[in-house]
This record gives sequence, C-alpha cells and structure tokens, in this order.
Amino acid sequence: MNTNFFELFHLPQSYAVDLQQLDSAYRDVQSQVHPDRFAMASEAERRVAMQWATLANEAYQALKKPLARAEYLLKLGGVDPELESNTSMPVDFLMAQMEWREELAEAVSSKSVPALSGLSSRLQSEMNAMLSRLGSTIDQEQDLAAAALLVRKLKFLHKLDEEIENALDAIG
Amino acid sequence: MAVTLSERAAKHVANFIARRGKGIGLRLGVKTSGCSGMAYKLEFADERVDGDLEFVSNGVTVLVDPKSLSYLDGTELDFVREGLNEGFQFNNPNVKNECGCGESFNV
Amino acid sequence: MALLQISEPGLSAAPHQHRLAVGIDLGTTNSLVATVRSSMPVVLPDEQGRALLPSVVYYPAEDKALVGFEAVPMQAKEPQDTLVSVKRFMGRGLKDIQTEHLPYRFVDAPGMVQFKLKCGQKSPVEVSADILRNLRERAEASLGGELVGAVITVPAYFDDAQRQATKDAARLAGLNVLRLLNEPTAAAIAYGLDNASEGTFVVYDLGGGTFDVSILRLTRGVFEVVATSGDSALGGDDFDHRIYCWLLEQAGLSQLGGRDSRLLQQKAREAKEALTDKLSTQIAAVLEDGSPINVELTQQTYFDLTRHLVDKTLMPVRKALKDAGLSTDQIDGVVMVGGSTRMPHVQHAVAQYFDKPPLNNLDPDKVVALGAAIQANVLAGNKSGDEWLLLDVIPLSLGLETMGGLVEKIIPRNSTIPTARAQEFTTFKDGQTAMRVHVLQGERELVKDCRSLATFDLKGIPPMAAGAARIRVTFQVDADGLLSVTAMEMTSGVQSSVVVKPAYGLTDDEITRMLKSSIEHAQDDMAARRLSEATVDATRLIEATQAALAEDGDALLDADERGIIDQALQQLSAAIAAQDEARIRQASDEASRVTDEFASRRMDASIRKALSGQKLSELG
Repeated sequence: MNTNFFELFHLPQSYAVDLQQLDSAYRDVQSQVHPDRFAMASEAERRVAMQWATLANEAYQALKKPLARAEYLLKLGGVDPELESNTSMPVDFLMAQMEWREELAEAVSSKSVPALSGLSSRLQSEMNAMLSRLGSTIDQEQDLAAAALLVRKLKFLHKLDEEIENALDAIG
Repeated sequence: MAVTLSERAAKHVANFIARRGKGIGLRLGVKTSGCSGMAYKLEFADERVDGDLEFVSNGVTVLVDPKSLSYLDGTELDFVREGLNEGFQFNNPNVKNECGCGESFNV
Repeated sequence: MALLQISEPGLSAAPHQHRLAVGIDLGTTNSLVATVRSSMPVVLPDEQGRALLPSVVYYPAEDKALVGFEAVPMQAKEPQDTLVSVKRFMGRGLKDIQTEHLPYRFVDAPGMVQFKLKCGQKSPVEVSADILRNLRERAEASLGGELVGAVITVPAYFDDAQRQATKDAARLAGLNVLRLLNEPTAAAIAYGLDNASEGTFVVYDLGGGTFDVSILRLTRGVFEVVATSGDSALGGDDFDHRIYCWLLEQAGLSQLGGRDSRLLQQKAREAKEALTDKLSTQIAAVLEDGSPINVELTQQTYFDLTRHLVDKTLMPVRKALKDAGLSTDQIDGVVMVGGSTRMPHVQHAVAQYFDKPPLNNLDPDKVVALGAAIQANVLAGNKSGDEWLLLDVIPLSLGLETMGGLVEKIIPRNSTIPTARAQEFTTFKDGQTAMRVHVLQGERELVKDCRSLATFDLKGIPPMAAGAARIRVTFQVDADGLLSVTAMEMTSGVQSSVVVKPAYGLTDDEITRMLKSSIEHAQDDMAARRLSEATVDATRLIEATQAALAEDGDALLDADERGIIDQALQQLSAAIAAQDEARIRQASDEASRVTDEFASRRMDASIRKALSGQKLSELG
C-alpha cells in the first residue's frame, strides 16, 4: 500500500499541520477501517482491515511529531537525509555538540538535578528554534537539502535530550 | 384495540429505558420472516413515526405501526424467568401456530 | 422457548439469528461473565444467584473436574490437586515463578510449566479452559442459545506469551474470541459509558495477582489509551502472603505441610478482607498436629506490613504518567478497579498521590466484565458502532537480538495497535546462507533481561559477500496485541515467518486435537446437529460468494480466477447435496481458500471507496 499519508487524511502536503484536524481525520479513518468494525467478518476481510488500521497508525505517527513529519516530507521529496551514514556536520555544530556533552558528563558525575534540568531546558529551546527554521525551510524556501541538514542536527540533539532524561531518571 | 404490558414487563422496560438514558418508550411490531411466517419486533423507540398507534400501559408508552396492529391486537407483553434465562414473551391471542422457539408465528 | 430482549431501534435480529456475545473477566481469584441485555450490561449469575466464580479447579482422579465454589473447600483437603490463581502461571516457565509456599507438583514442560495431578498432567491453559467452559455453559443457559463470540479480558501488562496462552484457553473452551481486551480499558468503557465522561482518566487496577495502570483519553465515543504500565506479578495474593508470613512468625512456625500452608493462607485472606472495614480481627486455626493458633491482627499492623506493596504500585503509575507526558494535575479522574482496591490504605495512597478522591461508584469486582460485555456487544454487531472507537496500545517493547546479546527495539511500548514496523539487517559473514531471528519483549537492553518470545531461522539466503544481503524483518501486532514476525531477504525474495507462539502455548494442531477429542466424547445426537450447522454455514457461504461475484466479479477477477471460484462453489453444492459433514467442511474450507484473495480485494476496494467518500463530505 503506497498511500501518501497526507492524502489519507485529506491534509495539504506541508510541514505546517493543523494538529486538531489531523487528530479528527485520524479518528475518522480509524473508525472506518479498524478491525473492531469487522470482528464478525471473514478472515480475509479482517486481515485487510488490520492492514489499513496499521497504515492509519503509521501515518498518524509520521505526521504528528514535527521531526518525523519533516523526515517524511524529505522522503516524499526524494531526499534521503542519510541519517545512518552521513555524519559530516559543520564544524561549529560539532563544537557546540562537544560542549553540550561535556556539560552533561559533568552534571551526571556531580548528580546535579538543577544542572541537568537547566541543560534540558536550554536544549529544548535550541530544538524549538531549529524546528521553526525547519518549517520555513521546507514550506517557504522549499530547500530540502538544507532541511536534511537541520533534520540531522535535530536527531543529534534529540539523542542528547534522551540521555539527559535517562540521567534524570537514574538520579530521581 | 390495544396492546398491553404486564406490570412486571412495564417495570423492566422503565428500568431499561432509564439506564439507557434515552427513549420515549417501546416499539412493538411484526415482520414477515422466520420459520413460521411472522416474527416479532421488540425495540426501544426514540421517535414517533407518522401513523403510529400509541398505547400507554402501566406507565410505559408503546408504539405500534398500523400494519402490525392487526396481528398484535390484544397482545400482552410479559417478562418471565426460566431457569437462568430471563426476557420478554408475547402472549398473543391471534396466534394459530407457533415455532417451538416462540420467536416466529402465523395467524 | 426463547425469551426476547429489547433491541436498539432498527436492529431487531431475525428469529434464531440473535448474536449472543459475552464479556469474560478471567481473573486470578474470581472470574465473571457478563452480557448486554436490552441495552444494559449485566453480570450473569449462577443458579444460586452468585455473580463471581472462584477461579479454583479441583481435579479428582477420575471424575469430572470441579470448578468454582465446589472446588474451594478442596483447597484445604487436597491442595496438590486443587489449583488456585492459575492465571499467575499462564505463559510462564518454571524458572519464572516462585514455587516455595505452593503445594503443587510442577513439571518443567518446554515453554509453559505444567501441574502433575492425580488425573494426569495439565497445563495452565487447560485449567483456564475449564474455568472458561464453566462460564460459557452458564452464559448459554442464561441466554438460551449458543454464543457467537466472547471478549476475554487480560491484564494490560500481559506479554505476548501470556496473551497467546489466554486466547488458546478460550479456543479450547469452545469460545470464538472476538477480541482480547485489556482489563483497565474494559473498566474505562464501563465507566465512560455510565458517566458519559470526557477527559483524561487513570485506571488503577489491582487484582488478585496482577497490577495494571492505564491512562486513557475519552472524547465522544473514542477511548484512546495513551500509556499503560504495570506489574504482572503483583496483586492481592501478595498482601495475603504478607499476613501469612507474619502469622508464621507470630506462631513461631517455619516450614509447613501443604494442607496447613493452604489453611493459613485462606485464614490470611479472610483476615485481609475483614480488615477492610474493621480495626482488628482475630485469626484462629487448628493445625494438622492439633496445635492451635489464635492471634489478633490490627488494621494498623496490617497497613505497616503491606505499605511497601502499595508503594510498589505507584512506580508503574509514575512511569505511565511520564510516558504519556502528563502530570497528576492533568488527570480528570482516577478509576479504581479490582477487588484489592477495596483496601482502605490503597484508596488512601491513590487519593493522596493524585490529590483527588478516586472514583469507585461501580463494583470493582464487576466493572471489567461489564466493559468487556459492552465491547462484545459492539463487535457482534448488535449496536450501531458509528460513534464508537477503541484504540489500545502494546504494553511492552518488541525487539530482536543483535550482535553481542543486545536487543534492538523494533516496536516501542505504548504504540497504538494494530501496528507494524520493518527493520533491515544484513549478513556478517561471506557466503552466509541462514540467519537466526530471535524475538524478544521487554524494556531492557540485554537479551538475558528480556522475555524470549520465539526463535526462527531464515534459510536459503543466496551466498553473498558479508553485508550485501538485505534482510527485512517485519513485526506485525494485531488488534489483540499478538505478534507475528516475517523475515525476507530482499534481493532474492526468500521468506520465512512465524506467529509468535512456539516457545509458549500450544500449537494449532494440539488445540485442534484437544478440541476434537472433547467433541468425540459428546453424544451421537451431536452428529446431526453438526451436519445441520455445516450445511447452514456452507449455504450461507455460497449465497454470500454468489452475491459478491454478481456485484464485483467482473471488475476484480480475471477469467481463470473466476473459473477456480465457480468450480469450488460447485463442489460445495455437491457436498451439501450428499449431506456428508466431513465433505461439506472440506469443500467449505477449499471454497474459503480460493475466495480469500477475492474477498481481500473487495474489502480493500470498499475501504478505499469509503475513505474517498469522506473527502467529498469534508469538501462539501
């Protein structure tokens, strides 16, 4: 099933998405295809319903979170952000990364909750700024190559954020 | 001409409607199907339909479409228990033959 | 004579076509069956008017097993052959369970543990099937007909092996499983409908042997589970056990025989129940050697003894809130489910944690069964389901073993089901022609800390240089939360798949064999009934297929495909004419097989049409 997720939910194909509209479109689709609608149907029909409901869940997840949505738009545009192999990054970003990581290591070794949550909130605002730049890069400037670099950067920061969360869990 | 509910049946119907949270009463009818030609219809009623005949029996509103009434006239709806099973039963004086199951009949 | 129930407007069933469906709460301590009658969910009681069926089964050497109240007194008399809390052993191996303090003779069978009994060997699946069969018979007597299906509830935190074992037990009991439904979700359905609630709710479900917590968002008929967590080995039994240990300490006893141990466990449970509304209780018993026990247990001592268990339930609550990204003040209500939530210190702890009194206006013992009945009624098609949608999640992450004994997560916990995810792997040796796929469930990073669900081999990979093969492993989780895994080498198309149940549970063949032998024991008049059922089913299949062919046959099938289907239908008609049950069933299976692809295409086309129709209405 090679369905365009935006078309499935009858939404315009763009980074900017009305989340309420997405939610209600998702529910509309699920209420028509969910296997619960076909519990008394034949095995073949139940299987097809399951495939559609699976697709609807996948589509919803891909469009709900901004970063996932950006990745999906890149994929539709034929741009592979090469998340696994392409690690070449601008030097200034790598330097900043190293500073973040040093700070994280210090906060972890001193088990400082305030230091960790401070780090986390600074990281969040950095990520939010990048996400809004990602929006204009995709929707207005339509520069998918630049968007791919932003996606790669965001993935780095996302990973860092997870590590901070884990460190907070370990202390708390 | 009339269709009635036994006191027991009316009590249960009123209780069901209250728990269901909506409904103006009960709709009784017959449709042609089943092993003996006709089958009973027993449903909650949410609205009146043009031509409905309306009875009130033991406080419960009963709606019957005019076509069905000729087969149901004089019927009393009762609520009975048989072992673990419980439910409604039509005591219909018009019935000549009845399927062993009580769900289907002819006149 | 069949007694009638009131239908929803326009949904009166034709005579003999009532779709009788039930919800079953298969509990650790007690089980229940419920249905919707005249639009009202009700628990179906036994002849004595008792709603609960104790989940206790006694197996005598020869006669039929005793289930429920009849089996309860046998606990003290023949503890080795009287199985209680069998739910704790579903889908579990011997190494998973604590066997001390238990009187059973465990057998370490491959996959799931078994019990050695006077009458032979039984698996937890068979014991559960005996409980379910008892409830099925009660339901059929109460509803005056055969059931079309049942919704069976399971703890939300049950893993794949435990779910599969539950489904097998239901099938063994002759039940058509419409859906496995998570217990807290079932409770939310019963509550949501009863109170017409909207908002975000926490369901705190402390049963006899399991603890679950689910967070749900309720908006006009949509029940959306956002996170779930729990502990599948924490429940009321553990509270009893604390009292039991305290009793041993007070009486200066150490190791007890099976009977004494059972006796004191029962006394411990009674004491716990008494302390729900009393400040103290007297525990009195006489042991086998004649020595008496007589001690007083105060509510305060009991609370102190078990406080750590109550605290232990709050950990999963915290985890679920975190996964949902919610804080306690964003929760609109807390629903208490399970008999164990009657304990005052549990109520108190939950109220304090959420800073609001929990909701408990529905009977915590019945609410799960009632919710399951409501869902069964919808699934059976007795209610127009337009404004009704249930979206549940998987409780534990699913993954694969990778190099170095590590687990790579494929589907994260709290993913909405049904769901599927694919991941590509490659070979790591030149000329490698086979690859082992090891499927695991759990949150930890190391294979040894997760539950092993299945292992299978993808064979016949064409020899290539290391890293050149592309092996795509697809995980599919269905609406029951059950997993199947497919592996495919992409350059050659070599494929291998499993429904994940080999490590635990019974194979399909085993179930079919067990069902068959139970049917063969039944009387001869069954044969006539089975022939008539087969004929009715086969006739219905022919009619439905012919109607479908008339409608879509030309558009969706080519001449060859059409010819195969027509021939299968002719064979089936001939089998019906011959009135040979085995032949009818065989021909029906064949007809179903050859029409499967056609049915899929029709379904797909109809869904596409429905989804595009929605677009028009939105534009208009």
